[in-house]
Amino acid sequence: MGLGGAIGFEIFVLLDYAYFDLAGPTMVSALFLCGLINLLTMFSYSELSAAIPEVGGEYTYTKAAFGGLTAFMAGCLRWLASVFGGALAAVVFAQQLAYFFSIFIPAVQNFILVSTPLIAAIVVIILAALDISGVKEATTLIVVAFLAIFAVFLASGLWYGLTPPEVLPRASLGGLSGFFAATAYTFTMFVGMRALVAGAPQIKEPGKNVPRALLLSTVLLTAVYCGVAYVAVGVVPLGNYDVPLLNLAAAEIVGGIGGILFAIAGMIASVSSVGTAMMVQSSILGGMSRDGYMPKVLLRVHRRFGTRYVAVIASSLFVILFSAIGAVEFLGYAASFGSLLVFALVNLSLMKLREKEPHLKRPFKAPLYPITPIAGIVMSFLLLTFPVLLRDVNAESALIFGLGLMALVLTTYYLRMVGRYRLRVAVGGISLGMGVLLALLTPLLIPRLPLYVLIFVSAVSIIAGVLNVTARTRKIF
Amino acid sequence: MRVRRILVAIVGIAQGAIGVLAGILAFILYFNFLGVQTTLNVSAELLPLYLLILSVFSFFSVINGFFLIHEEIE
Repeated sequence: MGLGGAIGFEIFVLLDYAYFDLAGPTMVSALFLCGLINLLTMFSYSELSAAIPEVGGEYTYTKAAFGGLTAFMAGCLRWLASVFGGALAAVVFAQQLAYFFSIFIPAVQNFILVSTPLIAAIVVIILAALDISGVKEATTLIVVAFLAIFAVFLASGLWYGLTPPEVLPRASLGGLSGFFAATAYTFTMFVGMRALVAGAPQIKEPGKNVPRALLLSTVLLTAVYCGVAYVAVGVVPLGNYDVPLLNLAAAEIVGGIGGILFAIAGMIASVSSVGTAMMVQSSILGGMSRDGYMPKVLLRVHRRFGTRYVAVIASSLFVILFSAIGAVEFLGYAASFGSLLVFALVNLSLMKLREKEPHLKRPFKAPLYPITPIAGIVMSFLLLTFPVLLRDVNAESALIFGLGLMALVLTTYYLRMVGRYRLRVAVGGISLGMGVLLALLTPLLIPRLPLYVLIFVSAVSIIAGVLNVTARTRKIF
Repeated sequence: MRVRRILVAIVGIAQGAIGVLAGILAFILYFNFLGVQTTLNVSAELLPLYLLILSVFSFFSVINGFFLIHEEIE
């Protein structure tokens, strides 16, 4: 189940930028570092999921440790990371579809690449409809198929006789920056297994089985990813290609059929990930609505299918919006950054709970405490800063965009907590102030705008402000 | 109370409409439809400032108008 969440579409696309633009062959070590950082935080996840085997995962842990704002932030970050992940998956589907058609009908390839936002939107709409109608995917089957494909790829790669690449990063500043940037960029490939903790209550003996599954999945996944990346960089030299790295490597090793097989696998993985992402998003939104942080309308259940259709539709709209950006690098960084911040919050929650509730029953305890959670937090923040230090424009855009969204999240939280009556008075006051300011600035603005327009706008703003400030009722909605 | 109700309805709609129009003006100014930047004599340096002012004004006007219209509907 852990691998079911973790093995995903990201490997089909994120390796490209990490290899060709950021780290070169040292990408393999970057993936190993990702696995290591993931393992550090999975110790925290294991302890928390065993001690609090409840629905909600990160949101539940941060709520138990810190309550209110931190839990809301964790929930929103997890939701945003999932939205970016879903958008990335939809874009990857279009890319793999384009590659698939480039072999059979090359004329269609350009049309698909140009229509990526449209194709992504169609995929999301279909998956949202399936989610609402309660269709479940065959996760186990997909995992087995992927492991088989990767095993064949690894075995064929070694049989092929690849050139051993130089996978260790050089000690120079540029080399290390690229290496850490690649680590940050590819990090989102590893975080999918945390879906396991969200379903902890449904697992038999969660105190024992969830930590075991998490840690085993982490180790196995790191080995698979590093192995696949090693073979890919050993087969494909650095250069400019318009074909994804794995497709290129598979075509080189096995022939054309290898590339086609990886394209089909990439499409299935993307579709599966979009579906999973939307289920996770609706679950998070539902949890936060239940606790009063989000509008109750998100809890509305479909009469026939019994699914939270409003939450699914709301989430899918955001996925469509972000997939319209179409920039894989930006979406990859945005998904990674969200996950890194969630990981830092989970590690902090572990430390807080150890202090706040020392007698809580803990069937699993994170080893080497407090070194492991502290190392997890430090590494999370290091990974957030390195791509920016490298002046990677995609990372900078993702970070600025993420900070903007966080500001929006904090504003939403305080607006929800402050109550609508106070909000109305505050907005009325702002409007009153704007109206008065406009009246004072009228002499300066006359050359640009007609006097009667300025007087009208100013008067309406002042009267509307006064009406809102003097509103008697405390119940607006 | 009757006077207030009428005032709330008229001012609410007017304020909301002003907000929407301010938003549209910001949009037109940004994309320079019909050479509006030249017509209004807006320099390229001051354009971001005008856009910011119009966006903020539009945002608060729409919310302000919404609260009033909602009161009237209630």
